[in-house]
Amino acid sequence: MKRLLTVIKVKGIQFIITTSFTLVTVLVMLFVGVMLYGKFAQTAEQNAYLHTQQILEQVKYNLDSYLNGMTQIFELVDDKIRRSKGLTADKLSEQLETIVETRKDIVSIAVFTREGTLLATTPSKVLRQNTRLTEQSWFQKAIEDPTNMNFSLPHIQNLFKGEYTWVVSMSREILLHGPDGEIPTVLLVDVNFKEIDDLCQRVGLGKKGYVYIIDLVGNIVYHPQQQLIYAGLKNENRSLPLKHSYGSYVEETEDEARLITIKTIDQLGWKIIGVSYMDEIVTTKKEISRFIFWLLIFVIVIVLFVLHYLSAKISRPIKLLERSMEKVEQGDFSESEPIRGSHEVEQLSLRFHLMVAKVRELMHQIIREQEAKRKSELEVLQAQINPHFLYNTLNSVVRMVGNGKNEDVITTITSLSKLFRISLSRGKNIITVREELDHARHYLIIQKMRYKQKFEYEIVVENEDEVLNCLTLKLLLQPIVENAIYHGIEHLADPGRIRIFAAIIDGKVLLQVSDNGLGMSPDVLAQVKAGFYKSEEGSGVGIQNVQERIRLTFGEQYGLEIASEQEEGTVVRVWIPRQVAEERDRL
Amino acid sequence: MRTAAGKRFTVYGLVFLVAVTLFYSCSASLTDVVVDKKKTVALIVRMKHGDYWRTVKLGAEMAAKEYERNLNFYAPDYEEDAQRQMELVQQAIADGSETIVVAPSDERVLREAIKLTRERAIPILVLDTVGNDSAVKSYIGTDNYDMGRKAFEKMVYLIEKKGQIVLLGTDRIKANAKRREQGVLDLLPREMQVELVANENAPSDKKQIGEWTRELIRKHPQLKGVIALDSSTAIGVAEELESSGLRDKVKIVAIDSPPEVLEYLQEGIISATIIQKPLSMGYLGVKYAVEASNGEAVPSLVDTGTKVIDRENMFWSENQKLLFPFVK
Repeated sequence: MKRLLTVIKVKGIQFIITTSFTLVTVLVMLFVGVMLYGKFAQTAEQNAYLHTQQILEQVKYNLDSYLNGMTQIFELVDDKIRRSKGLTADKLSEQLETIVETRKDIVSIAVFTREGTLLATTPSKVLRQNTRLTEQSWFQKAIEDPTNMNFSLPHIQNLFKGEYTWVVSMSREILLHGPDGEIPTVLLVDVNFKEIDDLCQRVGLGKKGYVYIIDLVGNIVYHPQQQLIYAGLKNENRSLPLKHSYGSYVEETEDEARLITIKTIDQLGWKIIGVSYMDEIVTTKKEISRFIFWLLIFVIVIVLFVLHYLSAKISRPIKLLERSMEKVEQGDFSESEPIRGSHEVEQLSLRFHLMVAKVRELMHQIIREQEAKRKSELEVLQAQINPHFLYNTLNSVVRMVGNGKNEDVITTITSLSKLFRISLSRGKNIITVREELDHARHYLIIQKMRYKQKFEYEIVVENEDEVLNCLTLKLLLQPIVENAIYHGIEHLADPGRIRIFAAIIDGKVLLQVSDNGLGMSPDVLAQVKAGFYKSEEGSGVGIQNVQERIRLTFGEQYGLEIASEQEEGTVVRVWIPRQVAEERDRL
Repeated sequence: MRTAAGKRFTVYGLVFLVAVTLFYSCSASLTDVVVDKKKTVALIVRMKHGDYWRTVKLGAEMAAKEYERNLNFYAPDYEEDAQRQMELVQQAIADGSETIVVAPSDERVLREAIKLTRERAIPILVLDTVGNDSAVKSYIGTDNYDMGRKAFEKMVYLIEKKGQIVLLGTDRIKANAKRREQGVLDLLPREMQVELVANENAPSDKKQIGEWTRELIRKHPQLKGVIALDSSTAIGVAEELESSGLRDKVKIVAIDSPPEVLEYLQEGIISATIIQKPLSMGYLGVKYAVEASNGEAVPSLVDTGTKVIDRENMFWSENQKLLFPFVK
C-alpha cells in the first residue's frame, strides 16, 4: 500500500494533472453525453412521430386519389347511362365494356331494379343463385339515400359466377330511361379491393407497426390481422380512433405502449390509423445511449492516455531538475547535463546550472582566499618577531653600549619595546592609523640608530584628528619602509630621506611612503607590481603580502600604488577604507 | 533521450490507433446486431399448394412479423409425399432454424422430426395432428372428433332428424379422417331415426367418384344425406348430384372450404361445411414456437376451433375473412 502510494505520488504534478483533467473530462463528457442523449432521443422520437405522420399522409393521399378516380369512373358510367336515351342496350354495354377494360380493378358494373332484378351487367356474367343482393348494404344504402354515392365496406362479391372477389362496392340510385318513362334503378360499380389492400399492406411502421382502416362506425375496412381479430386471437382497441379524427396519441396497455396516429379520408369518413410500437422508438434510444456510453468510455481512455503522456512530459523534466537540485543539496556541485523539456523548465534548468556554477566558483574562490589569508598572516606573524632584525638591533645596542652611548641605547631599546608592543598589539589585526604610524616611527628610529643617521625621516599627518583615529591593518608600513631603507637608501651616497604621509583623500585613507633612494628600473617596477620580485633581505614580508592583506580585508578597490623613478626615488601609496576607530567593534 | 521520447511517442500512437479501430469495430458490430440477429422459425407443411396450407402460411407470417422472426416455409409439391417432407425437415434443421413447426404427413415424418430435433435440442411443435409425445412442445390443430360431431349434428338438423345417410371417409389424412368418423359414429346411436347406410372411403380419383356416387344413390334410393369427411369427396359428390338433378333430394355436409365447396354452398348443393381455422393454426404455431424457444410454457394441446358454415351465414362479414382469406 505504501509502495503503491509512493508510486502514485498523490501530490505529484503528474497525478494532479491526470486526475483533475480526467475528472474535468469525465464531467464534461457526461454532461455532453447526457445533453446529446436527450437531444438525440428527442429527435428520434420526433422523427418517429413525423415519419408516421408522413407515411399516413401518403397513404391517405394515395387512397384519396384512388377513391377519387373510382368516383370519377362511377360518375362517368352514370353519365353514360343517363345519356343512353337513344342508344341500344348493346351499344351501351359496349361503351361500358370499354371502361371496364381500361380499368383492370373494376370487377363489374351492374344495374338493378329497386326490386333487385338485374337489368344489365358488364362484363356479362351469369348471376349466381342465393345472392341476397337486396339484403346487401350497398343495395340498401342506395335505396335509402338515392342522391349520394355510397361506398361499401370491402366484402366478397357473390353476384356473378366466377371467382369470389373482394370488392368495394360503389352504388347510387340512377334514373333509367325506359319505355314507360324514367325508372329508378341502382347502379353498382364493384372495385377490386386488392389495390387498397396492397397499398395498406406495403406500409410498414417500424418493424412491427402497421396501418389499418376503419369506417365511421368502427367496422374494419382493412386490417393486416383482420382474420386474427375475427378469430378472437387479437384485439384492436378501436375506441381511440373512433373518438378522434386526427392526431397522434399514445395508447398504453399493461405490456406495451403504442403510438396511434389517425388521419381521416374526408370523402368517406374512413379513418386511417397507424400503429407504431413505442418500444421500437425506445430501442433507438437504447442504441443511442449505448453508442454514447461507448463513446464516453473511448474518449476517457484516449484522454487518460493523452494525459498520461502529457503529464509525464511536463513533470519528468521537473523531476529531473529536482533530482539535480538534490544532488547539489548533498554537496555535489559537479556539472550535470542540462534538462530538456518545456521552455520554462529548460530556462529554469539553465538558470539553476548557472547558479550552481557560480556557487562552485565562489566556493573555489573562498577556499583560495582563505589559503592566501592564512599564508599572509603567517608571514605577518613572522614579521612581528623578526629574529634577524632583533639580532641586528641588539648588536647595534651592544655596539652603542661599548661606545658608551647610553642615550642612544635608551632610545633604541625604548623604541624596540614599543615596536614589539604595537607589533603584537594583543593579537589584533586591526589597529589605528596612529598606532601604525607609531610603529613605523619606532622602526625608523631603530633603523636610524643602526645606520648611524644615514637618513632623515619625517612623518606628516594631514588632518590629524580624523586620520589618526582611522583603522588600518597592522604592519602595512613597516615592509614598505624596510624596502625603502634596504633598496632605496642603503646604497645611496647622499643622505637619504624618508617621508611618511597620511591623509584622507576622496573618502579613503592614504598612507604614503616616499624616499629619495635609488628607485627602480621599469622592469623591476613591473615585476614588483606583478608580485614576482622578492628581495632576499628584510623581514620576508613583501610588498605582495601587504597588497594581498589589504585586498582580502578591504576589497579589490584598495591596495598599493607604486611609482618609482631611477635616481629619483620611490613612492608607495597605501589606500585603505576610511573606517573610524569607534566602529572598530563592528569589524 | 530523443530516441526514447520518439519510441514513447510511437507507443502512444499505436495505442491510439488500436483504440480507434476497436471503437469503430465496436460501433459497427452494434449496428450489425440490430440488422441480422433475427432468429428463424421453420414451418413445414404437407403441400405447397392449396388454400388451406397457404392460409396456414399467411397466419404464420403474421406471427413471424409480430414476434420479429424470419419464417422459412417448407412444403412438398404433393400431399402425402412423406419422403420428401422428411428431407425438408432435415433441411430445415440444417438451415439453422431456432424452432420447427411441422404438419406431418404421417407418423414416420413426425418420428423423424422428433428424433432430429431432440439431437439438437430444438423445440418442435406439431400442426394439424394430435398426439401425446412429450417431446412435442405443443400440438396445434383442429379437434377432428368435434368436427365429426358438428357435421353429424348439422346433418341431423338438415334431414330433420330422420332418414338414411352415408358417411364418406378418405384415404388421405387418415388419422384426422378417422377422428372425424369417430365423432360421427359416436353420436349416431342418439338419433334413432337416422340410419347410416354406408360408411365407405370414396375413391380419390375425380372421374371415378361420379360413377361411384351414382352407384351409391342407386343402391340407396332413400338416401337423404351425405357427410363427406374431406372436401374433395364433397366436391365430387356435389358435382354428381348437380348433374343428376338430385340436388334438392340429398343434402351434403362437407369439411373445409375450398372455392368449389363455397360455390356449391352458395348454389345450395352443399348444405353446410365445417371449416377449420388454418390461419389461427399457422399464427398460433409460430407464436407458441417463439414462446417455446424463449423457454416459456406453452399449452401442450391447442384446439384452433371449427365453425359450421351454411348458405345463411357464409357471407356474414365475420365469416367472409375466414372463408376467403386472400384478397385477389
